Amino acid sequence: MSSRRAVHAGTSAGRRSLQRTLAYLLLLLLTLGTLFPFYWLLQMSLKTGFAMFEMPPRLIFTPSLENYHAVLSREFIASFSNSTVASLSTTVLSLIFGVPAAYGLARTRFRGEGLISFWVLGTRMAPPVAFAIPFFLAYMRLDLLDTIQGLVLVYLTVNLSLVIWMMRAYFEGLPRSLEEAAFIDGASVTQTFLRITLPLSAPGLATTAIFCFLLSWNDFFYALVLTSSKAVTAPVAIVNFMGYMGTEWGKITAGGTLIMLPVVAFSFAVRKYLIRGLTAGAVKG
Amino acid sequence: MAETRVERQVARTLAKRGERAGWTRQRERLYVAYAVPALLILFVVTIVPTLFLLGTSLTNLNPSMPGTLRFIGLQNYQVLLQQDRFWNSIWVQVRLSFWTVSLQLLIGLGIALLLNSRLRFLELIRSLFIIPMVLPPVVVAIIWKVLFVPNISPVSWALSLAGIQGPAWLVHPFWALFAIIVAETWEWFPFTMLMLLAALQMMPEEPLEAAKIDGASSVQVLWHIVLPLLKPAIIVALLFRLIDSVKAFPHIYIMTAGGPGVATEPTNFYAYLQAFTFSLVGFGSSISTIILILTLALSLLIVRIVGRMVDYE
Repeated sequence: MSSRRAVHAGTSAGRRSLQRTLAYLLLLLLTLGTLFPFYWLLQMSLKTGFAMFEMPPRLIFTPSLENYHAVLSREFIASFSNSTVASLSTTVLSLIFGVPAAYGLARTRFRGEGLISFWVLGTRMAPPVAFAIPFFLAYMRLDLLDTIQGLVLVYLTVNLSLVIWMMRAYFEGLPRSLEEAAFIDGASVTQTFLRITLPLSAPGLATTAIFCFLLSWNDFFYALVLTSSKAVTAPVAIVNFMGYMGTEWGKITAGGTLIMLPVVAFSFAVRKYLIRGLTAGAVKG
Repeated sequence: MAETRVERQVARTLAKRGERAGWTRQRERLYVAYAVPALLILFVVTIVPTLFLLGTSLTNLNPSMPGTLRFIGLQNYQVLLQQDRFWNSIWVQVRLSFWTVSLQLLIGLGIALLLNSRLRFLELIRSLFIIPMVLPPVVVAIIWKVLFVPNISPVSWALSLAGIQGPAWLVHPFWALFAIIVAETWEWFPFTMLMLLAALQMMPEEPLEAAKIDGASSVQVLWHIVLPLLKPAIIVALLFRLIDSVKAFPHIYIMTAGGPGVATEPTNFYAYLQAFTFSLVGFGSSISTIILILTLALSLLIVRIVGRMVDYE
C-alpha cells in the first residue's frame, strides 16, 4: 500500500518537474521571440551597405558606426536637442505646478473628487487628435506653430494630470504623523510641505519626473502636427528619412537606436512603477 | 471654587478646540490654494480646447480657404454618418481593436502565469519583457516596417526557406492590417502582462491551497479559481488597451499610411487626414468629437470599476 503511494507520488513529482521544464522552455522561446525585433534593429544599425539586407543575416560581423556618423548631421542633432529641451521643460513645469496641487488634493477631502479623477483619467485617455485641432488653430493665431514653447504647452495636458495623480497617491501613502509634529512645533503649511514632506517624497518625485520625460520624449503625433522645421523633434526627424528619395535604412535604424537608448535606460529605473505611470496612477501595480 | 476650576478647564478646552478648528480651516483653505494654479492650467489646456473642438465641429472651417467660415449646425455629423469611408474606418478600428486587445490579453495572461513566482532570474526575464512597451512608438513602427518590407524582410526570408513565398505584406489589404496588429500586439502585451502579474501576486493563497488539497488539477485551479479572481484586473486591463487601441497612430502613419487604399485607415487616422492633410478642420473636428465621446465613456467605466476595486480592498 505504502509502496504504491510512493510510486504514485514519484510519478506526479516527475510529471511536475517535466511540466516545469516545459514551462521554462516555453518562456525561453517567448523571451527570444519578444527580443528578436529589438535585436534586429540594433544589428542593422551596426551594419553597412549590402550587409544590412543580406540573407541569411550574418550573425558575427564587425560592427561599424558608419550609420551613426551619417545620421548625426546638424539637422538631426538639432532635432535631438529640441526633443531634450521640450521634454525637460515639460517635466520641470509639470512638477512645479503639479506637485503642490497633488499635495493639496491629497490633504483635503472635498465633494468633486470623483469628478477630478475622471477629468485626469479622461485627459490621459482622450485621443490626441481631439486636442491637436484646437491647439493647431490657436497656435496659428498666436504664432506658436513650430515652436518648442507650443509643444511644451500641449504636452502639459497629459503630463500635468500624470503628475497630479501619481504624486497625490504618493502623498496619501506618507505617514501624517511627521507633518502633525511639525504643526505642533509651530511650522506653517508651506514650511511643512517644503521641509518635511518634499524631502520624504524624493523617490516618488524621481519616478514621476522620469515618466514625464518619457511621455514627452516618445511623442510623435503632436510634434508631427504642430512643428514643421525648426522645432521638429527627433521622432519626426527620423521619419523624415523615409522621404521621396527612398528610405535611408542606415540612418533610420541608427537614429531609432539613438532615441530609444535613453528611454530604455530610464524605463529600467522605474520598471516597478510602469503600470502606475502608464495608467496615470489610476491603477496600482 | 471647584466649579470655577471645571468651568475654566471647559472654557480652555473649548477655546483650544475653536482655535484648532480655525487653524484647520485655515490649513484646508491653503491646501485648496495649492491645487488652484495647476487645475487652472489643466482647465485651459483640456476643457477649453474640448469646448473649442465641439464648436469647430459645427462649422465648415477650412484654413486653406480663409473667409468661408460658416456655422452649419450638425451637417458635418450628418455627412459623416452617410459616408462609406467613415463606416469603413469604424470597421477597420473594430477589427484592429478586437484582435490586438484579445491577443494582448491572451499572451499577457499566459506569460504572467509563467512568470508568477518570486525566483530571481524570472524577475530579470520580466524586465526584458517590458522593452517593447517602453520604446518610442516611432521606433516600434520602424522595427516592424523593416521586418515587413518584402525585399529586406527576415520574415519573408524565413518563409522562403520553408518554400512559401511571403506576401507583399504592407501593400496587401489583409496582410497590411495583419502587420499592424502584430506590431501593436508586440508593443503592448507587456502592459497586460504586468497588470495581471501584479494582480496574481496579490492573490490570496488559501483558496489555491484548498483546491490543491482537494485534488484539483492545475487547469481546474486556473479556470475555477485564478481566472474568476483575476476578473476585475482583466477588465481594467482590457478597457485600458481598448481605449489606447483607438488612438493607434505612429504604426499606421509609418507602416501603411492607411493603405492600401483605405484598408488600414481607422477612425483616428481618418480624422487626422481630414483635419491636417485635407485641411477640412470642421469635418475632422466632428470625427474627433465622436472618438472623444467614445473614449470618455469607456474611461468613466474604468473610474467606476477601479473605485469599486479599491472599496473591496
